[in-house]
Amino acid sequence: MAKTEKKTEPIARAAVPGTKRRPTCPFEAAGIEYIDYKDTETLKRYLNEQGKLLPRRVTGVSAKAQRQLTVAVKRARHMALLPFVAENVK
Amino acid sequence: MATDKRALYELMYVVNTVLNDEQVKDIVARVSAFIRENGGDIVEVEERGSQRLAYPIEKKRNGYYVLAHFRAPAALIARLERALRINDDIMRHLILRYDAKMERHYQKQQSATPAPAEPAEA
Repeated sequence: MAKTEKKTEPIARAAVPGTKRRPTCPFEAAGIEYIDYKDTETLKRYLNEQGKLLPRRVTGVSAKAQRQLTVAVKRARHMALLPFVAENVK
Repeated sequence: MATDKRALYELMYVVNTVLNDEQVKDIVARVSAFIRENGGDIVEVEERGSQRLAYPIEKKRNGYYVLAHFRAPAALIARLERALRINDDIMRHLILRYDAKMERHYQKQQSATPAPAEPAEA
């Protein structure tokens, strides 16, 4: 059902194929040095509708931030702040 | 308080909401008391209240979230961990030790939202 609204709109994307565009990491740009598992609103931006983590190539997150993000999402899932699997059925 | 050898910890736990308010308060008070009795100093206890769980735990859809920050000696953590695990009314818990980055993040948040909750004694 939630298929229609595309909430996980990528933050940065290579504009034209062939042209190298270095997308800046949204976390580094914002000066965030610790990705908080409690901040589910932010975390949700990096998940697809199923609740799976989006790849870096889609979101432009730096490797460092992505590693932190992974941990944060896992913590949030453990605390039931985020789903392990989001069935869009409900 | 600025230079304390003991690390700053964050504890989040989810209490079973099937209990009545009083029982929930009692559990929160007991956890806080446990930390104090074992050489910890509570910095802040924030009760986030009953929230919908992202997925059912033990067939329940809601949980009472509590977030606590405290300074404690390392020896407390293992005991606290054990106590939390034994308590059947605590469905989930997570203890994190803050490093410098996390502490900065925490301080920043504290200053951004001036006193979100009183250090609830319950």
